[in-house]
Amino acid sequence: MFLIKINITLFTLIGILVVSGCTSKTETPEPTTGKLTLHFDHEIEQAPIVFDTIRYTNAAGNKYLVNEIQYFISDVTLHHTDGRKIRLDAWEDIHYVDTDLPDTHDYLFKDEIEPGDYARLSFTFGINEVKNQTLMFVNPPESFMFWPDNLGGGYHYMKLNGKWLNLSNQVVPFDFHLGIGQIYYSYPDSITSFVQNYFTVELPQSAFSITANQTTNIELVMQVENWFQSPNLYDHNTWGGDIMQNQEAMILGVQNGWDVFKVKSINVK
Amino acid sequence: MKALYTIITMLFLLSCFFSCKKETEEKPYQPTPYKIEIPFGFPTELNIPENNPMTVEGVELGRYLFYDGRLSGRTHPDSLMSCATCHRQERSFEAGIDHPDFPGGFPHGLTGLQTHHVMLPMINLVWNSTGYGWNGFLYPDNPDPQLRNLEDFVRLAVLASDEMDGDTTRIKNLFQSLNGYPELFEKAFGSSQITFTHIEKAIAQFIRTLISADSRFDKYMRGELQLSPSELNGYVLFTTEEGADCFHCHGGFGNPLFTTHLYYNDGKDTLFTDPTDRFSITGDPMDIGAYKATTMRNIELQGPYMHDGRFETLDDVIDFYSTAVVNSPSISPLMHHVANGGVRLTPTEREDLLSFIRTLRDDAFLTNPDFSKPELFPDEE
Repeated sequence: MFLIKINITLFTLIGILVVSGCTSKTETPEPTTGKLTLHFDHEIEQAPIVFDTIRYTNAAGNKYLVNEIQYFISDVTLHHTDGRKIRLDAWEDIHYVDTDLPDTHDYLFKDEIEPGDYARLSFTFGINEVKNQTLMFVNPPESFMFWPDNLGGGYHYMKLNGKWLNLSNQVVPFDFHLGIGQIYYSYPDSITSFVQNYFTVELPQSAFSITANQTTNIELVMQVENWFQSPNLYDHNTWGGDIMQNQEAMILGVQNGWDVFKVKSINVK
Repeated sequence: MKALYTIITMLFLLSCFFSCKKETEEKPYQPTPYKIEIPFGFPTELNIPENNPMTVEGVELGRYLFYDGRLSGRTHPDSLMSCATCHRQERSFEAGIDHPDFPGGFPHGLTGLQTHHVMLPMINLVWNSTGYGWNGFLYPDNPDPQLRNLEDFVRLAVLASDEMDGDTTRIKNLFQSLNGYPELFEKAFGSSQITFTHIEKAIAQFIRTLISADSRFDKYMRGELQLSPSELNGYVLFTTEEGADCFHCHGGFGNPLFTTHLYYNDGKDTLFTDPTDRFSITGDPMDIGAYKATTMRNIELQGPYMHDGRFETLDDVIDFYSTAVVNSPSISPLMHHVANGGVRLTPTEREDLLSFIRTLRDDAFLTNPDFSKPELFPDEE
């Protein structure tokens, strides 16, 4: 009699499982939100960069090449046509891009985004002072971007490494690195304050729509030559190979960064 | 209906009986997982292959094998060679410039052939996922599955004519015949039948435990001590572009591995004749003359320096980076001081930089009994 009771219980449990399995299938709701991805390309003179070859001339007349570009963007914000701002930070609010690592060229948001029309997109180039904390990235490649604590700490916003033909007709390296700047009382030993050089990139030509159950893909392009022009002419012969401890040089890059990114295309999958 | 219940009940009882019997008769292979404690600030992602999980038993066996001179497959006292023959704990598992058998720190194998490059530090390798060797010829996604990880490095060292010049079949047979070893393999891998794959795996597991993270600088990072003004100034020099500018390749507080494990042409030469540089692996002209940036941890013990051991002392290395850097088309863009021949340190700056670099020596690691030679090998116990 006891065994019969066990078997009845087993059959009952199996029955409940089967019924509940069927129920869950029928109750799966249709998605009411959409997804967004950003893709980053890197160009000079409106064509993909040919790396490691001295074939470009910047606005200051420097002949130059690019070896690699590594940078962070953060706090991507969607500007709804009704005036609301939506920050995409549900999963990853800081994204690393490395021209040598194709996997980093796509920024896939896990945020569930409300369908509708959005007027534009904006983001922070670099990382703001609240989030830019030393050791928040312990794994490579992001950890290799650390910015020394004695220079302000946190992480490089960007490393743009290349070479230019200098006035002595030598091809020599430049490290166009942006991050926290320093104000010196007595250079290079006595720092009186730090300068947060991150800035907001607005993309006025970036109107797009989000559709339920679909992914909108926005392809952005970094126009590298713009780092060296408009509004400031950046001459490597003036600023030399390194600028991490030269706020006067870094601020030129920061001010030039406003139009470095453009929307290349928008499509829906 | 009653008959159906009876059949179901019988089947249920039979299944219970057989499952219980199986449990009592078999001794399942259940090694103890080995957990790597992540030191402060270190990466959390580890290079441990899925097919060789770390176990306490595997690490224990690996330590015996690492130190056992019969890994050469020979028993004559003149023909013994183990990993530890070259990789000495007191020299941060390098040969060191004072090695009794390898003058100047240039190792040679049992046949007398000198190795093509000098040694790399064998520490903190569980965090290296970008390639092993000066040119990174062993890397995780290598199309050749025999050239991917530390396990493969063990096999290559055993086979290489300029190292052990061994024979894998002879080696596994030798260890099969040594009392105590089959039992250790049984515990580590579930079989007392020794295979060379298991030998590789055990040694690789042991090597992955060789973690150096308790230097004076680590204690400074953890807030446990203060460095001297000279050491602190050396650290500032180490991490500033206008100073010695070491940090982009050799890390610092934000990258406590003190290496990127990446490859750079750091401006030593203008002519490149070594057929085994990074270019030989990637085919990228920017990799001509490029080699792995070594970790700075315990670096004062790891001479001779550079891939070819051209510098005997750290003083020599600092002199080079200070005044002797030369340009070439493939020089790393991070060597932006090349137009001045280097970073041009003053004598005081040189001393301060050296003071800082010495804070990276980890005496606890260099004497850790867990990493040292076992008092007895299994067949001697």
